[in-house]
Amino acid sequence: MSSTFAPMTWHDTLYLAPELILAAMFLILIITDLILPQRVNRSLIGWLTLAGLLVSLGAVIWRMIDMNPSGVSAEEAAKAGQAISLLGASYRVDDYGNLLKIVFLIGTSLIVLMGLGSTQKDDAVTDKAEFYYLLLPATAGAMIMASSGNLVTLYIGLELLSITTYVLVGLRKRSSLSAEAAFKYVVTGGIASAFVLFGMSYLYGVTGSVSLADFGTALPQALTDYKALVYVGFFFLIAGFGIKIAAAPFHAWAPDVYQGAPTPVSAFLAVIAKGAALAAVFRLLYSSAFFVSGGSKDQAGDDVMFALLVIAAVAMLVGTLSALRQKQAKRLLALSGVANAGYLLVPIAVSVTIIHSNNFAEFAFYLVAYLLMNVGAFAVVTVIARATGHEELRGFSGLYYRAPWTAVAMLVFILSLSGLPVTAGFFGKLFILLGAASVKAYWLVAIMAVSTVISYYFYFGIIRQMFLRSNDEAETEIHVPAVTGLVIWICAAATVALGVMPGPLMKWIDMVFTIQGDLFVR
Amino acid sequence: MDSFTQTAWLIPLFPFAAFLLLTALGRGYRRAGVMIGSIGSLLALIMSLLVLFERLDPNAVDYSNSYKWIDLGDYTLKVGFEVTNLNALMLVIVTAVSFLVNVYSAGYMKKDERITVFYGYVALFTFAMLGLVLSDNMLVFYIFWELVGVCSFLLVGFWYARPAARAAAKKAFIVTRIGDAGLLLGIIVLFWYMPGHALDFSSIHNVFNEGQSGAITMTITTSIALLLFMGVIGKSGQFPLHVWLPDAMEGPTPISALIHAATMVAAGVFLLARTFDIFEASAAAMHTVAYFGGFTAIFAATVALAQNDIKRILAYSTISQLGYMVMAMGLGSMTGGMFHLFTHAFFKALLFLAAGSVIHAVHTQNIHEMGGLGSKMRITAWTFGIGALSLSGIPPFSGFWSKDAILGTALDEDPFLFAIGLAAAFCTVLYMSRLFFIVFTGKSRVRQPNEVRESGLAMAIPMVVLAVLSVVAGFVETPWNGWLGNWLTGGGEEVHANGFAIVASIAVGVLGIYVGWLMYGRAYREQSPAAARMPWLVQLLERQYYVNEFYNVVIVGTVRWIGKLLHAFDEHVIGGAVRLVGFTAVAGGRVMTRLNNGQTQTYGLTAVIGLVVIIAAIVGRRFW
Repeated sequence: MSSTFAPMTWHDTLYLAPELILAAMFLILIITDLILPQRVNRSLIGWLTLAGLLVSLGAVIWRMIDMNPSGVSAEEAAKAGQAISLLGASYRVDDYGNLLKIVFLIGTSLIVLMGLGSTQKDDAVTDKAEFYYLLLPATAGAMIMASSGNLVTLYIGLELLSITTYVLVGLRKRSSLSAEAAFKYVVTGGIASAFVLFGMSYLYGVTGSVSLADFGTALPQALTDYKALVYVGFFFLIAGFGIKIAAAPFHAWAPDVYQGAPTPVSAFLAVIAKGAALAAVFRLLYSSAFFVSGGSKDQAGDDVMFALLVIAAVAMLVGTLSALRQKQAKRLLALSGVANAGYLLVPIAVSVTIIHSNNFAEFAFYLVAYLLMNVGAFAVVTVIARATGHEELRGFSGLYYRAPWTAVAMLVFILSLSGLPVTAGFFGKLFILLGAASVKAYWLVAIMAVSTVISYYFYFGIIRQMFLRSNDEAETEIHVPAVTGLVIWICAAATVALGVMPGPLMKWIDMVFTIQGDLFVR
Repeated sequence: MDSFTQTAWLIPLFPFAAFLLLTALGRGYRRAGVMIGSIGSLLALIMSLLVLFERLDPNAVDYSNSYKWIDLGDYTLKVGFEVTNLNALMLVIVTAVSFLVNVYSAGYMKKDERITVFYGYVALFTFAMLGLVLSDNMLVFYIFWELVGVCSFLLVGFWYARPAARAAAKKAFIVTRIGDAGLLLGIIVLFWYMPGHALDFSSIHNVFNEGQSGAITMTITTSIALLLFMGVIGKSGQFPLHVWLPDAMEGPTPISALIHAATMVAAGVFLLARTFDIFEASAAAMHTVAYFGGFTAIFAATVALAQNDIKRILAYSTISQLGYMVMAMGLGSMTGGMFHLFTHAFFKALLFLAAGSVIHAVHTQNIHEMGGLGSKMRITAWTFGIGALSLSGIPPFSGFWSKDAILGTALDEDPFLFAIGLAAAFCTVLYMSRLFFIVFTGKSRVRQPNEVRESGLAMAIPMVVLAVLSVVAGFVETPWNGWLGNWLTGGGEEVHANGFAIVASIAVGVLGIYVGWLMYGRAYREQSPAAARMPWLVQLLERQYYVNEFYNVVIVGTVRWIGKLLHAFDEHVIGGAVRLVGFTAVAGGRVMTRLNNGQTQTYGLTAVIGLVVIIAAIVGRRFW
């Protein structure tokens, strides 16, 4: 073991403040919900959940500022920036985790706001308070995954996230679709967990350790001794996480589940759950497979990365092709999420070289872009579903004449989803594309381009619907709840802002994050 | 102190803010809309004047500032602005005309339902034009160049209920696109060959100013220059892409004054001035530019002789005058070109506004249904007269000095072009005399004479201001005082003072007015006796040399024929391939949908099969 196990001290709990805040808030809100009389509107719980998320966000940002001091000597900065390792390197507080936690917390906050505008009025959801406070442990799970330093914490985070989302998906108790979705999600999630555990057990078996910190040294030896077992371990891990990420061919559950779940929960699955699984894969592979890749001889790591690239390519193609015939808005977004999972896997899997080393910046930038455009699009779907009573794509027809500003915002999201300027999605895809091109993975570049072009077909279909007048929908004005409007406009404004000036964010990530200091677990 | 220069980037933001406000307000707030638009352009004007005053200091140095926009690998895309004497002059021209047009439109567009939309578009145009003027590199320049094109499209088609307006808007956009394609290609070639892929104007200046010792070969220089010139031909209405400009007169008249006389069409000439070093490095390009300009000048001037629509006459006159500017540039006289741009902006805007005033009063654009308006519309008649004299190049009006600067250069550089310029000048005087006499003198032929009255103050004041400017603007550069040239080029250009040119141009002017008075002034005739003897010539001119018909038959016809061929190819070869791809995609989609059958066990099975396939593929790879 590279670091000796040290028990938690009171001081250490300070490092865990963001997660602990969420946990404490969760417990408080459960009790509050029990005590509060029935007649009190549960949106109070929603606002308290939001408050908890924002306080936690503040704690993360405070930690980041603490770890990246400005105006001090390089030596001091390096000392402050050193990753904090807790409980024998099983939990890590570093810039990698913190950056992703910021993304998760902002995303969940937007989703809570979206819920205040939609789920709050959804009659199929009987226990509104549950919707809000269950998001807290789910987010905490995602944060644990981003911060975990060994397989056990990683798995705990994964299950915390999964189990709470199983419940969240089934919250629309008066809807059979929701129950069906929850059931399917539990079963598929169970398969995923089984795959992940199986893979983990093999890795533990061949290296004798569950700590990511030990893989770097133990794997090369293990590879010579038990080559086949190493392969099996990695492939099962990839398949298990592939299900969680909803990358093809492990994605089949996603459309059903997104369709049945309350829309804010679909957004949570599409953005936070997917992002957390991607974050775990990123960290896991860079602590293990990375050390058995490169060089001249056949290396298992290269194969693992290549498998990931293949999955990325398949996800892009399958996601866009299946979306072609889709008529339901949430299923469409689910399939677009499959394709986007493919894009997000690319920076993880393409090799790091001297000329191309900002994989994480590309990944994080696109994750942010994806968060903004997806949460925004789901928020628009809630508005339309409320006005028309269904979630079919034809609900969008004539939207421009019924809610012009919402239609314009949706236009921004769709342009971003299809990767056109001037939006965050354009630069996100461009950076990933250039990254893949700079390591000469031209076949992947070609597939990205082809799937992007195919995707124009159904994205532009929505645009056409919105801006063409139609007769079959009554031309009444659509009412947009203020909180939902806020979510839509935050997302649209940020999407455009990042589309006009992607430089500052990219530069900041590059400045804060180093592969050596923040990603590798040593 | 040059604090205003350093904050010049604020100038375009005033009209842009006005545009945003107007868009947000919607159609309701008519009065407020007019105020917002006018104040936006007024602030821009004040700021531009302050910048200009700073630039008048002989020690003023060019200022540029750019901001790194995006890092793409080792290439950095920058956006920025630059203030030079040339830009400062353009800033004042654009903001001054824009402000006056804003004021004028308060009267002219008063009854239009969509007046706020109109002001919004005008504000957006002003923003785009100012951005174009201030841009410090070719890429940003190009973006704004396209944006002014879009605004022009929107404003030409402003009355979109009229089919002619829609057609004209489309034509304007498509025809200029042809030139823009050349410009874009030129920029790409420039980008490719410039050291360090720099596209900013100061680097361009440095590279091409060294003459032929530079890094770029003669052939490349010439092709870049000619490609850029294609953009100029499209935007500044040079032959053979001039056809959109007369049709663009379907737009509201204030727009004709602002966009299609004073500013946007001059952008081409401004581009020539901005990239003058590239052109100067290639004698072949310079000759091409000069001859295109000269030909356009005489060509359009003759067409203007036989038109009967007051705005179309002015449109052809604009094309002809732009031809003068381009010719001056081609002859190496940047000062001459910019000077004429400067004076032309004022007197042509004035002529359009006065024409608008006439149209507003008589509700027609046909000059044969006007007549005798001088006694009823004194301000309009006087200001139009001043504009006409200025355009005709009669001293001491401003047009005389700028045209004389061009003709003087032409006489020194290329006597043939001087002759053409002189002939075009004669035509100019003739068609302006014809226009003036037919519209303002003689008996009234107006259908409802009692309704004719002078336009209100909102319209009259901008006309008077422009009339004053048309008189005095010429004194910045005279044969004995080369101030403007020194200021613009840093004293690099000699003053072409030529007694013969002055005498000749005055003689032509006086002769033209005399002939015009003989033909149209003494008594109204539908047709002059000279024209009656040569009906074919009149017909030829009236039909604008059949250029439109030629395009319709030859180009559109050929394109259509090629189109049919391509369509057949498309239908059977490409279409087949596409259908195949589409079929594959749809079939693929169908298979995907089938896999997505709602059965959870299938989902699990798919995942497992997927895993096995991937393992087989990856591990199998090892054994090959």
